[in-house]
Amino acid sequence: MTTLLQTLSSVRYSPGRTFLTALGAALGIATIVALLAVGNGARHSAGDFVHLGASDLALFQKDAADPTTSVLPTSLIPEVRRTPGIADATPLVLLVEDVPKDPSAIVFGAQPNSFYTSRLVFGAGHMFSAADQIVVGDGLASQLHLAVGDQLKVHRRPFQVVGIYHIGIAYQDSGAFIPLRVAQSILGRQGETTLIGVKLAVGTRPAAVEGTLSHRYPGIATIGTPEEAARLGANGQLISNAALVIAVLALVIGGIGVLNTMMMAVIERRSEFALLSAVGWSGPQIAFRVVMEGVVTTVIGAALGLLLGVIGAHFLIDALGAQQFVAPRVTAWDLGRALLVGVLIGVLGGLYPAWRAAHLSPAQILAQR
Amino acid sequence: MPGARVVAEHLSRRYGQVLALDDVSFEVEPGELLALTGPSGSGKTTLLQLIGSLDRPTSGSIGVDDIAVEQLSNPTHFRRSIVGFVFQLHYLLPALSLQQNVELPMMAAHVSRQERAERSRELLKEVGLEGRAQDHPSELSGGERQRVAIARALGGFPRLILADEPTGSLDTAASHRVWKLLGDVRDRRGTTVIVASHDPSLTEHVDREIHIVDGRLVPPPDRASPAGGGRTAAARHES
Repeated sequence: MTTLLQTLSSVRYSPGRTFLTALGAALGIATIVALLAVGNGARHSAGDFVHLGASDLALFQKDAADPTTSVLPTSLIPEVRRTPGIADATPLVLLVEDVPKDPSAIVFGAQPNSFYTSRLVFGAGHMFSAADQIVVGDGLASQLHLAVGDQLKVHRRPFQVVGIYHIGIAYQDSGAFIPLRVAQSILGRQGETTLIGVKLAVGTRPAAVEGTLSHRYPGIATIGTPEEAARLGANGQLISNAALVIAVLALVIGGIGVLNTMMMAVIERRSEFALLSAVGWSGPQIAFRVVMEGVVTTVIGAALGLLLGVIGAHFLIDALGAQQFVAPRVTAWDLGRALLVGVLIGVLGGLYPAWRAAHLSPAQILAQR
Repeated sequence: MPGARVVAEHLSRRYGQVLALDDVSFEVEPGELLALTGPSGSGKTTLLQLIGSLDRPTSGSIGVDDIAVEQLSNPTHFRRSIVGFVFQLHYLLPALSLQQNVELPMMAAHVSRQERAERSRELLKEVGLEGRAQDHPSELSGGERQRVAIARALGGFPRLILADEPTGSLDTAASHRVWKLLGDVRDRRGTTVIVASHDPSLTEHVDREIHIVDGRLVPPPDRASPAGGGRTAAARHES
């Protein structure tokens, strides 16, 4: 307790140095928090993606670069429907970057009576009933100032807006639905679909059906959870790995920053540590004091880093132009992890300076005048 | 607690080509206030550091009571409970209050918080700084800081005080007060005190003086001889 109080006194005594050390840790922790928040948001969005229209499972082509490039034959669907435990299965085609006025909008090709479209709640108009009709999400309608009766081009093909819906899922509310066959025609992939949505019979364990489907169709990835969805595509894996690498780099850079500043502090205060040695402090007692200073400083930095990270996550998503699909999500566990990282940075960054402080020669230092 | 007996026998310390101490032998009786004099660079500080286990001799031995100081593999306990150091620069920790500074040796010895607070306040009172426990070193004069450094040196209730030029950066009045304080420590506690000093007024305050020139003990310069004289050690060195 006394050591902690004395550490706080030392930390308070040099506010400039404390701030700079804390800032170094804060930037590292802010990076980690921002990446975790964006990663969580992306995973959550991926979960939304899988569960469009409340499907329980989604079947994608295995090892596709990302979910939108998956290609499956629709001829599989009747066979999938016959699988024990599956109540329904329906195709869904995804068209990306095909709305010239808003390239980030996703257009879904779906059957009008499928469970994907049955949950759309129309605020205006109705479900499409002809090949040249389109229904748009209220987010996209608001962005492009669309109303029922207006025209919207998809892949250079004009569609008449016949309904505006809301469902509460970012992907869908910022996108649009067109008939399945039209979407297949635009892609030139008649008889193919991007994914197959699966609804399970009541009381069926998803894992059991996933196991059956994976065994029966080795070329298909069966996704049931947001975590699995995030791992689906090679690009998603790449992003996930990149986030991990950046987080580790942030940790290392933060640690080196703390080490550097703590080392400077030890050199600057060498007579203080030599004095402690002269009055009977043992090496471990001196080292503990230095490490404590590092930890206290980086915990201050962690608090600042958490704040910067949460703010930075929003900026990062804006900079990536992904605000329509990804909302940053920070959980208590993320904050806890970031705080733990702060303590780790403090301990790791303080170890070598602590060792140096514990091995200073009081005879050499205290004799200097 | 009585003061410590110090016995140095054939003590030498070499730094590379430089022989800082050359075959020095002397004894200090328990409760004695001894002055260690000599020009700058003569080896006074080296000798104090060897006695206090801050450094190791190249050859020879140092006994503090029954402890062979040169053989200590871990001198931590010796430094925290047998000796107390006072340096020319006070080396008070600026971030800490006076009480916290005085508590430092007690913290090393894991003395309880309450006992530390009581002892440190008593020690500050003893050095004339009662009621200033929560002040910081920056609020004190040079003489006051040195008195706090003496209180800190007494924190572990040492049997031996080693003071290296404690009045070296003080004015005459402050020096006089520091000398009186060291004398009081010896008188009240019976602590052995060895002071390295250039201070010409030291003969008024010490029991005995030993003089070092170029790392060797020599007879002190001709000035009023203090009670007991320093002749014994010097004479033994010469013999």
